[in-house]
Amino acid sequence: MAERPGLFDVMARKMDWLAQRQKVLSENVANADTPGFKPRDLREGPFERMIRGQLAILQPRRTNPEHMTPASAADGPAREHQPRERYETAPSGNAVVLEEQLVKVQQTQVDYQTMTNLYSKHLRMYSTALGRGG
Amino acid sequence: MDLYKTLDISASGMRAQGTRLRIISENIANASSTGQTPGAEPYRRKMVTFTNELDRALDAELVKVKDVGVDQSDFSRRYNPGHPAADAEGYVLMPNVNSLIEMSDMREAQRSYEANLRVIQSSRAMLEQTIAILR
Repeated sequence: MAERPGLFDVMARKMDWLAQRQKVLSENVANADTPGFKPRDLREGPFERMIRGQLAILQPRRTNPEHMTPASAADGPAREHQPRERYETAPSGNAVVLEEQLVKVQQTQVDYQTMTNLYSKHLRMYSTALGRGG
Repeated sequence: MDLYKTLDISASGMRAQGTRLRIISENIANASSTGQTPGAEPYRRKMVTFTNELDRALDAELVKVKDVGVDQSDFSRRYNPGHPAADAEGYVLMPNVNSLIEMSDMREAQRSYEANLRVIQSSRAMLEQTIAILR
């Protein structure tokens, strides 16, 4: 159990990723009228990569402290990238489409709400297990 | 924390759009400000340009007003011989402000301002949800 990241940890990381995405999206919206600005987004989070890594059957294990850590264990801030397919680019070179960005903001917010709700649900399950009722 | 940075970033966008709106209102207010002496230049339309600037403390691309420039397009001429600024032929130079352009520019500034406001609301909702975990 100790080697697997707890559900709390997983959810906290997803929330971290969503907060980071919100930051990138807010940069896009703030620069919606800046000439030459290209919108950015985050790559699929380390969450997905981590889940894939954790659930893989053939996961390299460290049986000796001298071993290298598997690549999937490395995580840090998610990398930003500029999506290739752009919706439209204004004559000034600005490629931010406000509608698109706001939809992404909304998605991020809903995902975040899902995570916080799951988090409190999980917490309540613990209190149930501790006998304090739901 | 990223969500707090989001608030600063959106605020910078709102500030920039606010400056833009101020310049637009200056243009509209001076849409018929002519010179005082014969041949004097009337009011010249002002324009705002934005630039993105990396804020090192926040590690984020804020938006700043780069420059308030003037529109170099030609002035229009209106026949008004009695005007103090009328030239020998009786024409007065009028500002190169087109209120239709200013109005559409104003709508655009308003739209961008609202978008930034929505992002702030969304980020605030996310922060509140995080705090609600404690309840």
